[in-house]
Amino acid sequence: MKLTKTISALFLSLVLLIGSLGQANAAKRLHAAIADWTGGIITCEVAVAILEREYGYKVKQTVFPSGTGLWEAIAAGEIDFACESWPSYAEADSVMLNEDLIYEGKVVGSYSGDGSVDLLGTSGIIGLSDYWIPKYAAEEFGIKTWKDLNKHKAKFATIETGNRGRLIGCPVAGWNCHDQKRLDILGIDFQADELGTEAAAIAEAKAAYMRKEPFLLYLWSPHWFFGEFDMVGVQLPEHKVCDPDTFTEAGNWKDCGKKGWPGTGWAKDYTMNYGNPAVFAKAENADAKKFFENMSLQNIDQAKMLVEVDIKKRDVKEVVAEWLDNNPDKWKPWLK
Amino acid sequence: MSSNTELAGKSNQSKNIITYLIIGIVFLIALWLSSQSEGPSKFPKVVTDEFTFTAWVNEGEDFLKKNYRWMTKIIAGYIKACYYFVEDFLLESPWLLITAIIFLPCMIAGGLKLGLYSLFVVYFWGATGMWEPSLQTVALMGLSVLLCVFFGFILGVLCSQSDRFEGFMKPVLDTMQVMPAFVYLFPALFFFGIGGAPAILATMIYAMPPIIRLTNTGIRQVPAQTIESATSFGSSKLQLLFKIKIPLSLPSIMMGINQVIMMALALVVLACFIGAEGIGGQVWQAIRRLDVGWAMEGGLCILFMAIMFDRFSSAFSKTKERLPSDVQKFYLLPQGWAKYHLARLIEKPLKITHDVMKYICVFTTNLIAYFIKFLISTVNKTSAEDIGEFISKRYYIIPSFIVFFIITIIDLYFIKIGSFPEEWRLSIRQPITNAVESLTVNPGFIAFTKSLRAFVYLNLLRPLDIFLTHIPWWYTMAVFIALGYITVGIRFALITTLLLLFIGACGIWSHSMITLSSVLVSVALCFVIGVPLGIIASYNERFRNIQNVVLDAMQTLPYFCYLIPVLMFFGGGTVSAVLATVIYSIPPIIRLTSLGLTQVSGTYSEVSRSFGGTLIQTLNKVKFPLAVPSLVIGFNQTVIMAFAMQIVTPLIGGKGLGLEVFNGLARSDTGRGLAAGIGIVLLAIIIDRITLAWTKKQREALGL
Repeated sequence: MKLTKTISALFLSLVLLIGSLGQANAAKRLHAAIADWTGGIITCEVAVAILEREYGYKVKQTVFPSGTGLWEAIAAGEIDFACESWPSYAEADSVMLNEDLIYEGKVVGSYSGDGSVDLLGTSGIIGLSDYWIPKYAAEEFGIKTWKDLNKHKAKFATIETGNRGRLIGCPVAGWNCHDQKRLDILGIDFQADELGTEAAAIAEAKAAYMRKEPFLLYLWSPHWFFGEFDMVGVQLPEHKVCDPDTFTEAGNWKDCGKKGWPGTGWAKDYTMNYGNPAVFAKAENADAKKFFENMSLQNIDQAKMLVEVDIKKRDVKEVVAEWLDNNPDKWKPWLK
Repeated sequence: MSSNTELAGKSNQSKNIITYLIIGIVFLIALWLSSQSEGPSKFPKVVTDEFTFTAWVNEGEDFLKKNYRWMTKIIAGYIKACYYFVEDFLLESPWLLITAIIFLPCMIAGGLKLGLYSLFVVYFWGATGMWEPSLQTVALMGLSVLLCVFFGFILGVLCSQSDRFEGFMKPVLDTMQVMPAFVYLFPALFFFGIGGAPAILATMIYAMPPIIRLTNTGIRQVPAQTIESATSFGSSKLQLLFKIKIPLSLPSIMMGINQVIMMALALVVLACFIGAEGIGGQVWQAIRRLDVGWAMEGGLCILFMAIMFDRFSSAFSKTKERLPSDVQKFYLLPQGWAKYHLARLIEKPLKITHDVMKYICVFTTNLIAYFIKFLISTVNKTSAEDIGEFISKRYYIIPSFIVFFIITIIDLYFIKIGSFPEEWRLSIRQPITNAVESLTVNPGFIAFTKSLRAFVYLNLLRPLDIFLTHIPWWYTMAVFIALGYITVGIRFALITTLLLLFIGACGIWSHSMITLSSVLVSVALCFVIGVPLGIIASYNERFRNIQNVVLDAMQTLPYFCYLIPVLMFFGGGTVSAVLATVIYSIPPIIRLTSLGLTQVSGTYSEVSRSFGGTLIQTLNKVKFPLAVPSLVIGFNQTVIMAFAMQIVTPLIGGKGLGLEVFNGLARSDTGRGLAAGIGIVLLAIIIDRITLAWTKKQREALGL
């Protein structure tokens, strides 16, 4: 008697298995990656919400750490698109993209890789990265630029760093910040600590700020942290690359000292969205491709949403939906 | 007699002194060696340059991807299609239908109590805004359980029929169970892409052993007389198997299914690391955004879900106890309360509803059964009888389907029911977050956490890190090999040599020493905190009961839930990684300490007390030595769990092999990630085997 029950359950599962085959290709589906920093999550959520609202797509979102792994997943067709790649952080862009990056009609970057990943267009966000100290510390010690850091390194030390100062560094190795390398080249006697996630780094910085302790923090803007706390950049040297660009894996990470990356600060980042070429070449995804070409989210809008999400702890989807409802004039032009 | 034991005691004592002396000397030499070396010990460059495991793996992966990718892609595509189908069904159905699909089976199997509980669980999913992720988790888990049960059952039956096949499967199953899940999570990612498919396949590896084992033993344990009588009636081998053996072993198989469900749930949550959706992903996002409340809600969703599935599957497998018919049956309250008037008053309407419902169910079912019987009887009379009986015996199935049908019809043609109503949201996020935040800024508490952090870092972690990384690799290796030889034997010593050589040759020696040091510090802290708690629990039953509930909950929560509070209180870094590891891996040591001490039979402690031993003496001289085997098992499990935790600690600043795995993943360097992942497993295996062998020796020495 129980056996029949088991058998009927198995039978039902078989029916499910067979029935599922026809179902899978029915809906207009896209598969997006959820980034590992809030700004990236918001940019992608804006794109996803518009694709779902206006074009009837069904977008599946998967948490995936950014870095070369994500690019390869996109090239392999496991994920269809990802948002807001920062050129200074990506290593794979020059290998896998084969297109010009255009921002407001101007060419701001050009790539000549193998074209295994499709450059969908700019996301509109322009990023800036630097090292920052809280304003109270800058005033107290008179720190104006990175050159003044060494004099006060003892103030920035923690139990883990001994007598060197501590930089709360770029949290994820896959972002290719090369913090320690930069510090060494510039002769800043600090130790870069890689804390694994944005959350961990920010938790440290936030706690330190609340206790009014000095700290040196790597961070990018737009970021909610600047909305809540008063931070001053240390003005790293202006971005330059070695000529020829030797600091690559192929070039065995040979640097050219203070003359070029990573002995300098970051470039201004015109961020971009990228996707799988085969997926976006399909006729049914022409709408999505057109949309991504036109999308251009402004820093100020992302910053506003960042405050809602990270400071007021609201749901990303809710915040983005609210922004879309209140600002149709800003995103309707992307639909043309 | 007495002189004899004295003599034995003396020789034992001198043996002990020699052992301690040797340990001391070994330690001193290590200390001297590590103080002599200038930098971290490195494996000979010649070896690491020649042994390019990373490159081999990457080449092999490229080869496999190029040539066999189509095959894995088909499998993955098929599983993905199934998963999307189930997921679509769950997410697009009206919420009432989902509730009914979960509530009715729970109520039928486990009575009103489980039914109400399942309603609460479903409400909790919706109320906390975890409706979709919860259903995604259910879909992933359901599909993996289905596949596990299907293949596991077949394999189990095969095992039971052939001794040779069983002999072949045994080591395979052992490996499947010993191997920490994350080891094959990542390779699954490389072969089956990201998302649901690799998650389901990895879950199958992890959760299948119990059903294979229990099907096998269940069938093998069918009493010989039953088989004999069946054979004497002339049943064939197949008839014997399907008509006698499998039905008789169903309770055992159901127990297997129960275990499969629980294990699958645990892994499906973990699978968010390879891009599977569901609550795991929610918790991970919450960690990234430092939202304790959110993570806690996610954790509770899983906890409640796990309890529900556990109760459901065990209720399903248990035969119902029957009360004598003259005793009034209670549906909700404990039967023991029958003496209270109020309880009887509450139960009265329940009974009436139950009777009415039952009458309706039986009536409709009989009606339908009669119709079907009538229809079929025009073709074949005997099978019509059978089918009619089959249907009317299950008087709950057809009404359930009618309910599902009605809800669907209403949703389609009358009122759109849709997803869980937003107005019913009831979030506990804010209070939890507020509580944690007020602790974060509490100066006293922060002073405490800061000093704890400084203590752990300066006195434990850093010295041990430096010590372990600076000892020359050959010395550490020699110590491990000697330990392996003494406790297990020459063969294991050889295996240890090979495993450690592998770690060294991969060029991850110093990473693995850092991992080892953080595991050792975590385990030491677990020991210091856990053993006293275990002792208290062994003396006080009430404390033990409360503790058991807490520990159960701790072990069911996905293990990266603990990262956030630690992060908030201690900041990011290696110390936080250690503390998170302590929280996760402490339960076994507490449990097994208290178990070991309570199991020491009363006579021993009574004898000791009658000889005038104080409480402390009894504990110290009698109970502890006897509880050592149990303690060591606890210790062993704690070590393994601490190793497992190393894979997530990089999220809050942990270093060592776990970070290597992460970096490998982020840089799409399979070889690097895999080498580090294997490194963790190898270390865990070596330590596991050594401690287990030691326990065995202790047990034998104690004559247990």
